[in-house]
Amino acid sequence: MGWYNKRLAKSLWVFHVSASPCNNCDIEILDLLTPRYDVERFGIKLVGSVRHADVLLVSGVINQKVAPKIRRLYAQAPRPVFVVGVGTCPTSGCTFKDSYNTVERREDVIPIDLYIPGCPPKPEAMLEGIMKLVGVLRG
Amino acid sequence: MSRTVIPIGPFHPLLEEAEYFRLTVDGETVTDVDLDIGYMHRGHEFISERKTFTQSIYLVERICGICSTSHPLACVHALEDVGGIEIPPRAAYIRTMVGELERIHSHLLWLGLAGHFIGYDTLWMWAWRYREPVLELFEAVSGNRNHYGMMRVGGVARDVSPDVIPRFLKILDEIEVKMEMVAKAAADDPVLRSRLKGVGVLSREAAVDYCAVGPTARASGVATDVRKDEPNDAYGLVDFKSIVLPNGDVYDKLVVRVLETFESVKIVRQCLEKLRTTPGPIRNDVKEIPAGEGIGRYEAPRGEVFHYIRTDGSNRPVRHKVRAPSYMNIPTCAASCKGIALADALITLAAVDPCYCCTERAVDIVDRRHKPLKLDLLELSRRKTELLRREIHG
Amino acid sequence: MAEKEKFLKEMGAKVGKIIDRPGRLYFEVANDDLRDVARYLFRTQGCRLSTATALETYHGLEVIYHFSHDATGQYFCPRVVLTDKANPRMNSLAPMIKGAEWIEREMAELLGIVFEGHPRPEPLLTKEHPRGLRQPLRLRRTP
Repeated sequence: MGWYNKRLAKSLWVFHVSASPCNNCDIEILDLLTPRYDVERFGIKLVGSVRHADVLLVSGVINQKVAPKIRRLYAQAPRPVFVVGVGTCPTSGCTFKDSYNTVERREDVIPIDLYIPGCPPKPEAMLEGIMKLVGVLRG
Repeated sequence: MSRTVIPIGPFHPLLEEAEYFRLTVDGETVTDVDLDIGYMHRGHEFISERKTFTQSIYLVERICGICSTSHPLACVHALEDVGGIEIPPRAAYIRTMVGELERIHSHLLWLGLAGHFIGYDTLWMWAWRYREPVLELFEAVSGNRNHYGMMRVGGVARDVSPDVIPRFLKILDEIEVKMEMVAKAAADDPVLRSRLKGVGVLSREAAVDYCAVGPTARASGVATDVRKDEPNDAYGLVDFKSIVLPNGDVYDKLVVRVLETFESVKIVRQCLEKLRTTPGPIRNDVKEIPAGEGIGRYEAPRGEVFHYIRTDGSNRPVRHKVRAPSYMNIPTCAASCKGIALADALITLAAVDPCYCCTERAVDIVDRRHKPLKLDLLELSRRKTELLRREIHG
Repeated sequence: MAEKEKFLKEMGAKVGKIIDRPGRLYFEVANDDLRDVARYLFRTQGCRLSTATALETYHGLEVIYHFSHDATGQYFCPRVVLTDKANPRMNSLAPMIKGAEWIEREMAELLGIVFEGHPRPEPLLTKEHPRGLRQPLRLRRTP
């Protein structure tokens, strides 16, 4: 599927999955669209439905109420789909590791392919992470 | 079970089955609103019993990304209330300055989203573009665009160096010029006025009954502002107005936020002037917090943030209660959304500036017989603005 | 403060142990007197309910309501002490103050206190927890 991935890398459609975040990462993701960082020049577009998504951007430490919905969302995303964990929350749980309402391991709910740590990661760091993904897809 | 999502921004939130706002409609009119939350509940109060006080400051910062100074400020106010701790004057000015800068960036964020909902996408791109210099200022002062880690019990963590101040003043001048443009547009644009005036009215009685706080209450004539009621830090030493308007509709909420941004710029300028002439330490050394209880509050961009801490003489809290302002403001949607047109539902729900981390962004619409309807609220809202524009401008 | 004196004059008989700090007045109130005290603070004195805290101590459960008199910045905090840890029940203020609805639902969910008279006593935040949470904020340590 190498040729397919190369085509995909030209224009990745991204769907943002917010799984109990503190919303800082979400605002920084939206900042990527504003004129200063302008992620659309790389062909990256944020889409409104998971069925059009090539990449799922997951932010937040997944809590018990949201976990079944995230599983269902991941099941609905058409393959191939790549999951990017934005922020320290999906990477390690950040400060919410000990809570009664968060899941033990985020990877049990949704398998993550690329981690972008930071609290929140700067838009430049997010761009670098996405470019790494594009680089991997290009081979 | 079909559901309708409010798209916020260019991305759509997930949640197939999320039933956060359940609007019951009769034709084109909303008759009832029901609310369901819990998507962001991460158990802060449980975790904070297992952390020390300084760790708590970092923990509460991460309750919300947009009001990320407000929670640490309320937390250190509570700890200082328990111990009767004073802070040095330089720290007071730095705290007030960081808090007011946060208010500016939060109101600009809301302005952008409100613009997006009613179809003024230029306003969205523009408002968020002018947030960037403010975030740069935060980075210059604290090292991070959000989640600054600036607050400590007894003062602040980092000082403001004098060579940053001229850049600050230049950026503030820029913001003021642009906000004047927006204020003029809001006052003069007939489409904006007819779109927002009289929409989603929250009466004064309802605001008092729901114990609303912040701009939501001040736009309905309730004069509650922690900066004036209990002037902590440097709020008693600077000159500013608290904006209160009588009508309670979405237009008034917009005007309150725009005028508050001007007042915030004024406060930051005064703080910077005072910082030039106030030398001294930025933190008083605090060895221990005595046993007792304390209340700390702060006027966040959305309203009063309230923290209550019970201590027992050790370095961990026995109980740390946090109440964010959106907790009191979001139930007011039940009152302000009754009887409005469906096309106005989105902007009315967004006008209380729900802090997303306390809320989810999904809406379910059902008719009288509880059959779900598939409707796109963003589309309806934008279409209404378009129709008004054609009517007014021909 | 004039507000504090006014309040203590009117409601002094219903008030138990007082802790008086600058700007904050904490006082104990019996469960039966809570509604009268709250009605006086909310309606007559024009205070706003900020929130309510529930906590568990070794001796029982405490529920502290926080009323703010905005014009002067004075806080009135009536405290109800519930000694029956196994079955804590008290009167609800939600029928009188709409803003108390969510606050009391959260306290009921996280600490297991039953608020009699609450219009909608269902869990607010952890309704769909897979393991069926039971009062997560209760202390697990014994004296």
